[in-house]
Amino acid sequence: MKILIVEDEPSLNKSMVDYLSAQQYLCESVSNYRDALEKTELYQYDCIVLDIMLPGGSGLQILQALKSANKTDGVIIISAKNELDDKIKGLSLGADDYLTKPFHLSELSVRIAAILRRKNLQGSNLLTFEEITVDIQARAVTVNNTAIVLTRKEYELLVYFIINKNRVLSKNTIAEHLWGDDMDMADNYDFIYAHIKNLRKKLINADAADYIKSIYGMGYKFSIH
Amino acid sequence: MKLFDKYNRLNITATILTFLVGSCTFYFLLHYIFIDQLDETLQTEQQEILAYVKVHNELPEIIPTKDQYISYGPAIGNVNTSFLNVKNNYDKEDEDEREIQFTVLAGGKNYLVKVDKPLEETESLLKVIIGITIAMIGLILLVGYLINRVVIRRLWRPFYETIDKVKTYHLTDQETLKLEKLPIDEFSLLNQSINEMVDRIQQDYGSLKNFTGQAAHEMQTPLAVVRTKLDLLMQSEALLEKNAQHITDIEKAVQRLSRLHQSLLLLTKVENKQFMLNEDVALDQTINEKLAEYAEMTEALDLHVSARLQPTQIKFHHHLAEILVSNLLNNAIRYNVAGGSIDVTLADGNLTIVNTSTNPQLDDNGLFKRFYRGSAAEEGNGLGLSIVKQICDMAGYSIKYQYAANQHRFIIGFGPNVF
Repeated sequence: MKILIVEDEPSLNKSMVDYLSAQQYLCESVSNYRDALEKTELYQYDCIVLDIMLPGGSGLQILQALKSANKTDGVIIISAKNELDDKIKGLSLGADDYLTKPFHLSELSVRIAAILRRKNLQGSNLLTFEEITVDIQARAVTVNNTAIVLTRKEYELLVYFIINKNRVLSKNTIAEHLWGDDMDMADNYDFIYAHIKNLRKKLINADAADYIKSIYGMGYKFSIH
Repeated sequence: MKLFDKYNRLNITATILTFLVGSCTFYFLLHYIFIDQLDETLQTEQQEILAYVKVHNELPEIIPTKDQYISYGPAIGNVNTSFLNVKNNYDKEDEDEREIQFTVLAGGKNYLVKVDKPLEETESLLKVIIGITIAMIGLILLVGYLINRVVIRRLWRPFYETIDKVKTYHLTDQETLKLEKLPIDEFSLLNQSINEMVDRIQQDYGSLKNFTGQAAHEMQTPLAVVRTKLDLLMQSEALLEKNAQHITDIEKAVQRLSRLHQSLLLLTKVENKQFMLNEDVALDQTINEKLAEYAEMTEALDLHVSARLQPTQIKFHHHLAEILVSNLLNNAIRYNVAGGSIDVTLADGNLTIVNTSTNPQLDDNGLFKRFYRGSAAEEGNGLGLSIVKQICDMAGYSIKYQYAANQHRFIIGFGPNVF
């Protein structure tokens, strides 16, 4: 999977490259409008992570260029501007998703995975991790070909974990993914704990290994080891 | 006190005083002139008598006339010619008269001659004159007052128009105050100065707003850097082992900062009227959706939620409607007690959210202010209600807060926007 990262802030750019590279994506990065336009004209990417405010031009112009060249690269806009207009404009110009800074890398990763799946670039709608298989389209989960029933939150949690496998995810990050930005309940962490406990129980009951590991009380990690 | 009244009071006092002093002077002057003239007449009479005596060496016969009385009497010694004010009873009782006394030698005898003229006519003339004067004063005052009333009211009208415009002017409306040029220099100067001041304030306000907006935008990128770097740092378990708490704390702080910025940006946008209120919003649906979203929280807190929602359509903005409802519900849940209740009623264009809480009554004045917090230990960023208020103000909705029996009640009236 080839991903182009267009972001003018060098350290943010590097963060994204580091995180996504660790997830086996092939990342290229540019930091200005001209380079971005050149790259998108010359090559085909599976997904482009696009900042709107760039030195030398707007990310929206790149979107326009992609659209007029009939390119089908998936595009996720990342912007400091939480402007509804920008969002609508970006999406109408063919962007697949919109993420507002500051975002979590794990969230970016989930969004990218969703875009890639939507574009059916990974060949199937199946997300697998060892003996666990998730059919994204049917929203169905099987362990060793035995179906298990998950609640909506448990399902979202599982998908999130599988996409961000082997990464440490803080409770805060998970809460934001599950409940969005609006909910800033003090007790959120208890809810997470409840959902994770239930998910783990259901997976183990279905004879899956215990992949959810608690990390020093601050978060969780979904991995074999 | 109005300027007009103040001016009038001064004016009338000054006028009355002037007229009083003037009238007195006038009276005494007239009086003096009349007496002087009377004395001259009496002197002529004296001349005539003296001339008669000189020719005939006897006193002239007294012919009684209506306005002149002459009497002769024996004189003791020589008396200098003198004028007196006397009271005599020739004609009427106690009549004021002017009298000339002189001695004359006639037929070898010395006579004291008294010639009297009544002052009555003079006095009545004086009275008439004074009367007319007073009437004139009264008339002048009255006319002056009426002229002032009518003319000054009219003259000041542009001033009151300016005041009215300034009163209804709101900085946040983003319209410049355009006061017209007037034919009167003073008002023209006033309007011009206000125009210039408003322009200056408008500019300052604009740049301040821009700054707030830009600062918030600019801060999102460094925040994104911090957040993503934290995400990466977390991947090092060796680091986490010793610093899990630190990293969690940093993460929470970053999140708070980020939320704070988003709330401030939203406030600025609402203030700047960057939302068009032209969408048909089914408010009951919005509330139901939000209640469903919060169901997990309310269940966990064992809250009893009851909702009676009449289908209500309003001209509003979807995003703002969601923010409005979720901010209020958020508070109703956050400050509730375990096992408490939330009642949501949407009826007759009013949305009422009532919740139980251990928090005491909120301060009516501070409640909707930015960064208001009922008590220090609360979690929120203190912007939720001010966002709600700002949205209501912008959309022309009313918002009320009531407290009774440990129940906090927020009522939003959507007014004429309901259809």
